[in-house]
Order: sequence, then structure tokens, then C-alpha cells
Amino acid sequence: MIKELANFKVNGRLYEVIIEPHMLLIDVLRDKLGLTGVKYACGTGDCGACTVLVDGKPILSCLTLAVTAKNKNILTIEGLAQGNTLHPIQQAFIDHGAVQCGFCTPGMILTAKALLDENPTPTREDVKAALDGNLCRCTGYVKIVDAVLAAAERIRKGGKG
Amino acid sequence: MAQELTSVGKRLPRPDAAPKVTGAAEYGSDIKLPGMLAGRILRSPYPHAKITKIDASQAKKLPGVEAIITFEDVPKSPFTRSAMAEALPPHVYEGEVLDQYILSDKARYVGDWVAAVAAIDVSTAEQALDLIEVQYEQLPPVFDPVEAMKPGAPVIHEGKERNIAANISHAFNCGDVEKAFQESDYIAEFTGQNSKQKHCHLEPDVALAYWDTDGRLTVWSPCQNPHLAKKAFARRIFGIGEGDIRWITPTVGGGFGARLSLCVEPVCAMLAKVTGKPVKVEVTREEDFAGWNSRTEQRQSIKMGANKDGTITAIRDRIISDAGAYFSHSGTTTAVNMQMTLGLFRCPNISGEATIVYTNTPTTSGFRGYGNPEGAFVLQQVVDMLAEKIGKDPVEFRLKNIKTVGESSFFIPVPLEHCRLEQCIRLGAERIGWKEKWGGWGKKKEGRKRRGIGMSIMNHSSGAGGFLLEHSNAAIKLHEDGSATLIVSPCEMGQGILGVLSQIAADTMGLRYEDIHVMTGDTDVTLFDIGSHASRSTYVIGNAVMDAGSKIKRQVLELAAEKLKISADKLDIEEGRVYVQAAPQEGVSVAEISHDAIYNYELTGAHISATGSFQSGTHCPNFQAGFAEVEVDTETGVIKVIKYVIAHDIGRAINPQNVEGQLEGGAVQGLGYALSEDFIVDKRTGETLSDSFATYKIPSILDIPEIEVILVEEPVPSGPFGAKGVGEPGITNVAPSIANALYDAIGVRIHSLPMTPEKVLEGLKAKSLKSSSFRTTR
Repeated sequence: MIKELANFKVNGRLYEVIIEPHMLLIDVLRDKLGLTGVKYACGTGDCGACTVLVDGKPILSCLTLAVTAKNKNILTIEGLAQGNTLHPIQQAFIDHGAVQCGFCTPGMILTAKALLDENPTPTREDVKAALDGNLCRCTGYVKIVDAVLAAAERIRKGGKG
Repeated sequence: MAQELTSVGKRLPRPDAAPKVTGAAEYGSDIKLPGMLAGRILRSPYPHAKITKIDASQAKKLPGVEAIITFEDVPKSPFTRSAMAEALPPHVYEGEVLDQYILSDKARYVGDWVAAVAAIDVSTAEQALDLIEVQYEQLPPVFDPVEAMKPGAPVIHEGKERNIAANISHAFNCGDVEKAFQESDYIAEFTGQNSKQKHCHLEPDVALAYWDTDGRLTVWSPCQNPHLAKKAFARRIFGIGEGDIRWITPTVGGGFGARLSLCVEPVCAMLAKVTGKPVKVEVTREEDFAGWNSRTEQRQSIKMGANKDGTITAIRDRIISDAGAYFSHSGTTTAVNMQMTLGLFRCPNISGEATIVYTNTPTTSGFRGYGNPEGAFVLQQVVDMLAEKIGKDPVEFRLKNIKTVGESSFFIPVPLEHCRLEQCIRLGAERIGWKEKWGGWGKKKEGRKRRGIGMSIMNHSSGAGGFLLEHSNAAIKLHEDGSATLIVSPCEMGQGILGVLSQIAADTMGLRYEDIHVMTGDTDVTLFDIGSHASRSTYVIGNAVMDAGSKIKRQVLELAAEKLKISADKLDIEEGRVYVQAAPQEGVSVAEISHDAIYNYELTGAHISATGSFQSGTHCPNFQAGFAEVEVDTETGVIKVIKYVIAHDIGRAINPQNVEGQLEGGAVQGLGYALSEDFIVDKRTGETLSDSFATYKIPSILDIPEIEVILVEEPVPSGPFGAKGVGEPGITNVAPSIANALYDAIGVRIHSLPMTPEKVLEGLKAKSLKSSSFRTTR
């Protein structure tokens, strides 16, 4: 197996990692970089728990070969808060009871971020359409939609996005 | 409580939310121990086969492989995966079937555990699995419980002829149902069955284990009842003392009852014992699907009689439960089904009998509702059928037959201390628009898309006192700054219980919510508790927290009384400050009292701390009504739920946001159970065909209807601040209310879950054949 020294830009930091061609992005992020906020839940791209943002777009890290993400800007849940200040979406998930077991939460929040970056004034239906690839088994989704809409409003009113 | 409640009843943020939104929360799969090995399990490709030989010599030679274990290497004491069984009274536990070993010498389903490997990493362990040569002697399999009960069927467990694992009679059979049926004016009967719904907690099963050099075992796993699991490990499996085991529960990524079973913990501990190193076993989603946890399939016939005036006279319930390959929770879930089903209505003649059967299919377990959603799907349809025969409105028929305070609860010897089911029914009916939308029985509806409305009611436990050892303990210690650490052992699997218990603690002691820190998830620290299940944690553990909190408060008040030179009964505490009731401006902070109790230079110091206990002898039932409005597409067979209303008798909502979360989450799981979640085992090969989220459809965000939650709040005297349980009930009314709404829309009843478009179309076809043929006979 050919090993390669690859550069990854994760959460604004540059990392050098030895990778092999078959390695998945989720394994690089979790095992090599210790970013365990990236969650493995299905391995088949059906649930969205492993979602990270690559150049601002949500991708499924369990289906993405690590080599394809070299030198790109990767954002994981660990990179979302500014120090101890939570991102408005994170805060809204807490305030609106959108978190239960938390296993889908990082993927949900990052997918929601990609939505709000592109569409700061989503409707309830827009939120549902954007989060359709992220399964949650606990909340029944009601409070997740509420939280994303509240976060959108908070960002519009000047909370940092 | 004299003072205002500052925490109870408020929508306060749960303590585990912040680490979950930042990625800081540590789940089992996130834990790395020094020198840790990876464990993998070899699973049988055959549904029923004797293992005649295992040759692991090639696998052992693979560099990086540290151990391979088979049936030969595991303890020969049989156990049950139901760790919850440890909380059954001894005479009931004797009825539990102990039919499993860590690894088996006989495969009883496709996926049964045959051998296990520990290696330096997962890929080496997987390569080793491929190198293990197993010789199987295939045996004829049986996949259907009715086939399995026939004479001459293949025997899955030695000594269990016709594969009957157990026969169970309902604990509260009474009267004479057959005689009552003869004397009843109307009779209705319906047979239905649920599917083996999968829990689908997003965090796959995982365990870590390590035996230190003194022979003490530490287990890390997302377990709902770690103190009971510890006992099962000690007494049933490894033959060591309970004190030789420390069980740590990391952050838990969903449970829903799956984690009441021992999952990969025993095999992980065995690999750790053999290698002397820490081992982690993680499973894949596909393994989880074809594995060891699902709802037990219960085929149920319910016959019900009533008089002309609408009084229910008799209920007969017959159940065949398909346990799958091992007994697990199938006995207790079936017993609970009968209790909930037969105990909901006032009825003098009751008969319930059940048979638990083995098949060569994946093992089942307990799932949210624990028998109640299984029974409700059938019961609530029979109730509607009977109402139709009598010509009664389903709302009125139910109102006439529900029990009220002072009558027996579903656990017959214990009378109901509290019940607000009537309010739930009336409020729910109002919000769904029952009067305007329910047009009476047999009203013909036209058009391709037809709307219908249906309802269901239920009762459930707030802890299973009388059935389980309902025992919880809590400890609290005050810090020098007047804040407190609350030490409790529920399982925070997402429901928000740590926040709820903190709110109870805060208002019991007169402290602020933000001054309560919670310590949990470590059996070396926490006191005994039977964990989170049976919708028990708020009620039972909450009462233990109140007991501990009141003792802390008493200590603080006595010390403050000395300091203020006033009698303690003239003082109270609010928001961390002791004050004189008659002169609230006079007082002293809890911080000062707490600090001085520790930094005491008069040699009378003692850290302010207390333990509290609670044992519940009752179930303190909670109640609920559910109402569904559906639109059925008669060309595609698709049932679309337009609106779902839940009215729940909660006693008091300690945190309304969490209560809504439980009910909404339960409702959406119920929606999947009702309409899309279909666990399919290939009836030729025994293979699980629904083995991913692509082939087993749980609801996505686009599938949810409008959901309205109504909390009926009137405190129950025995509950902490009046609260009752709510963890499970959200799921129960969904499928039956949709089934009744479907009948209202198109006049079709479906006998098995999920109610797929195919079944709806079949039902429509059968109905039109029946109505178009003059010579139809039954």
C-alpha cells in the first residue's frame, strides 16, 4: 500500500497526516486527529451523523476518501465555537431542547450551518429539506426545526454566524 | 415546600447539552485506553447449525492477533442477556430462561456468535476472522413461531420441545370470560401482530473492558442499568464479587430499551481477560441490525364483550410471542403487554394467556413501551370494533369504561391514587376537532384521497413496583461555595434525566439550578439503582433525590439556626440563602454554612452530605390519549398522517421541554413503527434483509406530521413535586390511532405492522371483492 504524507486544513489548522489511498476521511478525522465529534453511525451514507463541511458544503465523511479532501477547508463540530462562545446554532440547539442523546447533533448542526450560510431566511420547509439526510432517533425532529429557525433569526439580528 | 419553586417546572437547559453541541461529549467509541486491542466477533452464516470443529491455527499465526476465543474458552454458566432480570423478585427470576453463553457451540440464527478475536487493530482482527475455519453441521431451521410449535419441528434449544420457552398466565385473571361472553350483548375480536421493530439508537453497540493485575474488572459501555449488569456479570457469568467490577457508563447515544440487555460487554470482557489487555469491541450497523435487539414479535388475539349500554363485560387475550433465538426479554415484555392491555379498562372478567416461542431469527429484547405498543395496536382496534357494533362514539365508549381514582390500577392489587385520563381524552378530542371531523360509523367517503380520524388511549408505569425491585438511591454533598454535587445512577441516554434530577435537587434544598453538579455513570461512585427503564427515573430516582435533599436542607438549617441563634423551624432556604421566615432580610448564605462546616476549628466539623433512598411499591400509572388524522391515497395505498395530538397525564412536568421531547420523539418512533419500519428476515435463508437505514426505514425529518403535545398537569401526591413518568408512553398510541383513523377513512383494518401501502391496497381489494360479490361467504 502506497503511503502518502498529506495536508489537511481542519478547523483552520494545518495538519500533516500519513494516509493510505483507501482511508476514509472519517478515520483520518477521528483516529489520526482525535476529532471524535465526527460520529460513525451507519457507514453507508444513510444517516448523516458523520457530516463535516468541506469548503462549506456538507459531505458524508464515512463515504469520502481522505485523499479527495486534501488541502481543502474542513470544518468539524469542534471548530464551530469561537473559544467558549458557542455558534448561534449550537446555542439554539441547547435553548430549544433539540439535543437528546447527541449522536446526530454534530452532523445536524453542521448541515444546518451550511443551509444558513447559503439561505439566511429559511422557511420551516427549507429547514426540513436541508436536514432530510440527517437521521435523529430521539427528538422527533420538532425541536430541531425550531432550533434552526431560531438560530437563523439570531444570526440575522447580529449574532455571529 | 414553603418557598417558591425556582427550578421545577422551568425549561432549563440540560447539563449534557453543551458537550454534545461542541463534540466534547465522550461516547464509548471515542475512548482510547493505553495498549488497547480491537475485538471482533465471528458470526454464523447459518440459521441453525451445530459447530463440529473450529480451526483457528491459521488465524492465530497472523501477526497482531493476540487471542481467539470460542465456546471452549468461555464460562459454562448459562445466563440471560436481560440484565434487567436481576431486578425481578427471586421467585419470578426462576421463571427466566437462562439459555445463553458468551459464545455458542450451536448457531441459532444467522449472525449468532461463534468465536471472537482480539488483535492490535480492527483490520487485523477482521483478517483473522476470515482465517478461522469453522465446520458446521447444518440443521433444519424454523422461522415462524406457529411452525416452531408444531410437533416434529426442529428443536432450537435442547429440552424445549416444540420450541416453547415458557407459558405465561396473566397475573390478574379473574371472573369467567366464556360465561360473560355468552351473556354479553356484543362481542368483537381482532388478531394482529407487531413487527420486530429495531431500536436504531444512532450509536452502535460498543464496549471496553480491562482486568487489572488484582483481578478487578472495569467495563465501559452504554448500559441502561449498570448496577444490575454488574450483578449479572458477577453472579451469572464470571463468578466474581460485585465489588470486583466497576462499570462506567460513558455518554450514551440512545437506548430505547436496547441497553437493558447485555450486548457486546460479555465477549469484550472475556477477550480482555484472556489477553490481560484493554479491549474495545465496536459493532457495525449491519451487525446491529442482524443482531441481538429488537421488539419482541407478539401475535395477539383479543376478544372483548360489552352490553348494550356500552359497559365492557369481558376481555380475553391470547398471545404467541416470537422470542427469536434466545429468551432475553420476551417473557417480561409479554407479561407487561397483558398487564397494560387487560388492566386499562374496568372489567370484571379477564383472561390472558401467552406462549413464548423460539425461532431461528435474531434475538429480541425490550423496546420503549415494553409490550404496551404491541398490545395497544390490537386492543385499541377491538375497542373501536366493539364501539361500532354498539353504535357508540369511540370517545364516549372509552370514557364510559376507563377507571378512576380508587379503582384498581392495571396492577390490580394497587388502587389508582391519581388519574387524569378523562381530561386527556376530552382535551385531545377537542384539539383534533373530533366533533367536527368524526362523522359517525359507516359513513361512506368518496374520492381518491380520503381522510379519517382515530384515537387510542393507554396507561403505563412510572416504575414497575410490585413487579421489579423498584429501588433507587442518591447522594448529595455540599461544596464550600454552597454548590452541590448530586450523585445518581439513572442512564442519561438522551431523555434529559440529569437535568430533571438536578431541578428536583435544587428546589428540594433551596439551591439554584446552576449550583447543582451531577456525577453519574460510575458504579464505584454511585449508589445502587436499577437504572433507566419502565418510565421510572423521574418518579423513583426523583423521590430518592428528594430524600437526600431534605436531609441536606435539615443539616444546613440546623447549623444556620446555631449561627443565627434562632430555632431551625423558623428558617427556610431559597436560592442558596438561609433566611428567617418572619424577617426575610435576616439570614446567612448556604455557602457560609457549608464552608464553616468543613473549615471548622472547634473540632465539630463534618462535611454536609447525605444519602437518600426510595423504594416504590406501586406503578403510579401515567395515562395518555392519542388522536390521529390521516389522509389515505386509495390508488397508492399511502397513509399520510396530517396531524397527531398527544394529551399526557404527567402529574407535573419537572421540565416541560424535556417532557415534550419525550412525547414528540416517542410519537415519531411510533410513526415509524406504524407505517414504515419493517424488520424482514428471509424465510428461506434466515438472513436479515433489513440490514441498513436504506432497507429499514426510520422516519426522517420530512416524514413528520404536525404534532401537538398537551400536558395535563395536576401533581400526584406520591411523585417528586407531583411528577409521573413519561419516557416510554409517547410511542404507544400512535399505531392504534392511525389504524383506527385508517378504518374511518377507507373501512379497512390491517392485522400486522407496519401498515404499508401494499397492505392498504390489499385491504381495499379484499373489501371491494367482498362488497361486489353476492356469494361471499365467511
